[in-house]
This record gives sequence, structure tokens and C-alpha cells, in this order.
Amino acid sequence: MSKIVKMKKVKIKFYLNGEEFSLVTEPNRRLIDLLREDLGLTGTKEGCAIGECGACTVIIDGKTANSCLVIAGQVDGCKIMTIEGIVTNGKLHPLQENFLKYGAIQCGFCTPGMVLSSYALLQENSHPTEDEIKEAIAGNLCRCTGYKQIIEAVRKSIR
Amino acid sequence: MIPQLNFVKANTVLSAIKLLSSDKNARLIAGGTDVIPGFQIESKRFKDVKLLIDINSIKELKTIKRFKDRIEIGSAVTFSELITSNIIQSEFPLLVNAASTVGSVQIRNLATLAGNFINNASCADSVPPLLVYNARIEIRSLKETRQISLEKFLLEPYRTKLKKNEIVTKVVLPLTNKNVKGDFYKLGRRRAVAISRISLAVLVELDNSIIKDIRIASGAVTPIGVRFYDLEKFAIGEKVDSDFLKKLSIELGKTILKVTGLRWSSPYKLQVVQQMFYQLLEKVCNE
Repeated sequence: MSKIVKMKKVKIKFYLNGEEFSLVTEPNRRLIDLLREDLGLTGTKEGCAIGECGACTVIIDGKTANSCLVIAGQVDGCKIMTIEGIVTNGKLHPLQENFLKYGAIQCGFCTPGMVLSSYALLQENSHPTEDEIKEAIAGNLCRCTGYKQIIEAVRKSIR
Repeated sequence: MIPQLNFVKANTVLSAIKLLSSDKNARLIAGGTDVIPGFQIESKRFKDVKLLIDINSIKELKTIKRFKDRIEIGSAVTFSELITSNIIQSEFPLLVNAASTVGSVQIRNLATLAGNFINNASCADSVPPLLVYNARIEIRSLKETRQISLEKFLLEPYRTKLKKNEIVTKVVLPLTNKNVKGDFYKLGRRRAVAISRISLAVLVELDNSIIKDIRIASGAVTPIGVRFYDLEKFAIGEKVDSDFLKKLSIELGKTILKVTGLRWSSPYKLQVVQQMFYQLLEKVCNE
């Protein structure tokens, strides 16, 4: 029998979508739990919980990560961006506009992760090839099989 | 579910080792891409973990350094950092090639090179290239700092020589001779975000079509990543015509079969591994 651990709360401070947050929480909570349950940001979805599906993708310090694989204490001092942070003054990001325009959404569960993976790609590489787009979203599963439309939406967002 | 546990960030290697030594249920975490899913699937390997020590803030472990005869990669360097490093791209292309096939972008942004071989899954993609590059591992404890070859470090699937109170601080890669060419090939069940079924790494140095030096390693198809020294000896001094490359590929298949024994997948894998190796050799030798 394993003994019950007396957990010491962790105190963390981070920037979320440009705003500073301080939290005291249990050390075994994941970033996705903080986002969805504590901060009410339900745009980040939980799919597989083991880092395979990409529905929980967020951007940490400029790089995409599965928020189901990151625990609370690890984001102390980090800059985090979620799907809610891509909107400016209530206006959708061009990527989001194109996801709508090119029918890159069916059930929508993968969409926040898809948009953020595409956003991170375009931040690093302003003119990706189709293969580079595919590689960038390889960690985001869409079970409505809308990959073609998604790739098209990203392609049309290249400026 | 993530079990009840405690979390602490270490800022120096020494503090990480002290924390490790003070609690037998402590475990280091860097990328967390094995530990966290391990908790979620209730893997026995992580059931005793009561304290996670995060090493991502230890600057010394986040660097890639070049020396005259070697390159040192800190143990908290991620696959993404490795892939985009100019030094690694120019000196260790097989490692970049293998690292690029690990998981997805999201995984590579978190996962570390050292975590990959410390976890020591059969399918660890970084292992075959590290083996052909003669990688050495630096291990530190409160008592000592030592270096051993990666090959000696890896014991069996999910087991290494690392003791509970020790930390891997870096991977040391000796620079290779400029005339050395090589390649890495991974076969998975799909093209992206795939778990390796077979992986092969080969480095060759030719002198007028004669094999002066050759290093061969496999992963996934063998229980852990291994080098094939006998095969390498067999090949040195031979001419790289297609007859010999075929012979060498057949021998590799036989050697792997000796290591693994007959399995349900052998009739398929044996032929695939031989063909894969032949194509790899032909490409590398005719470059």
C-alpha cells in the first residue's frame, strides 16, 4: 500500500494571454485543469490526457505544448497563450476567419489546438510549405477528417 | 489521474541531487512526456513517485556547448532545441533526423534528449544515432561525477544504470571525422507521430570504395538500442559493391534474429529490416 502524501500547495505566477495571474494550487494539478476549472477558459479542450491528440494545445513561451502534460509548478514564470488570447478586441484572428471561411471546422473539438499549432507555425515561419503545415499540425488529431480544409485555411492565412 | 505528490523546482544540479538523495520516492522531471502519461495510464513504473523535482530551471542543463573534440548537450535540452541547433545540424545530422521524428511538435517542445534514453523504451528514437556517434553520459551524485558510454548505460527495456540518487547532467558526443557519412531510418505504422517499429542508424567512412570504418545500430526491432560490433568488423576492409551490401544486410537480419529470437512478427520484420538496411547502405555509400 502506498502512503497518502501530504501535499504542499505550490505558489505560481504566470502571464496568461497578456495578463498576470497568481495562483496557489495543489502540486498535482495540470495546466489544463488550471485553465478550465480555475480560470474558466474552456476553449482549451481535453481529449486523450496523454499528449497524443493535441486538443489541449496551448502556447508556452512561444512554443506549443500539450497542457495535459504540464503540471502547475512548471508554468511558474511562463508566458502562456490559449485560444482565448488569439482574439484582439473581440475580433477573430485571420486564421480563425479562414477556418470558418474554408469549412475547417466540423465538431470543433480539435479547432482551438489546430488554430494554435498553425499560429505558432506562422510566427516561426511566415511562408510554410504544405508539408511544413502538415508537420506542424501532426500532433493535432481531427476525427471529423477535415484535414484538407484545415490545411487550406492555414495556407490562405499566409501573408 | 495524477497521484498525490509534491513538486519542487531545483535551481542547481547540487540542489537537485540533494533533494533526490533525501527522498527515495523522488523522481526528476524535465519534459514530463513519459512521467505524466505514465501516471495517467497508472503505469507501475511511476507508482512510487511522491516528489517531482523539476530540472528545467537549471541553466547548466539547458546548454549545448562546443569543444575542440566534442559537443556536450545538457540533459534538459529539448528535442526542438536540438533540431534547431546549428552545431548539431552540422556535426550530428543523424541525431537531428531522428529527433525530428519523435512525437509531435508539442511533444518535441517539451521532451528532452536525455529523457528519451533514460526512459529507455525499445523504440527510443534517439538511441541508434547516439550509439553510432559513440555517445557518453555524464552522471553526478553527491559522491562523484562519472562518465560512461551510452551503450553501457542502457541495460534492458526501461532500465538503465542510473541510481536513485544520481542525475544525468549531459551527453558527450565526440566529433566525427569529416569523411564519415551516414543516415538514420525509422519505420513506424504511420508517417507522423509514430512509434518506431524498426529504426536503423549507420555511419560509414570509405576509402576508394573500401569500408575503412563502419558503425551500425538498431532500435525498436531489438529489445533496446544496440551496436553490432561483429558485423562492423566483418565489413571493414570490404568493397562496397552491391553484392557485399546485400550480404551485409542479410547478416544484419540474421544477427537481429539471434538477439530477438523468433517472434510472430519475424517473417515480416526480418525481410523489412534487411531491405531497409540495404537501401540505407546503398544511399550512404553512393552519396
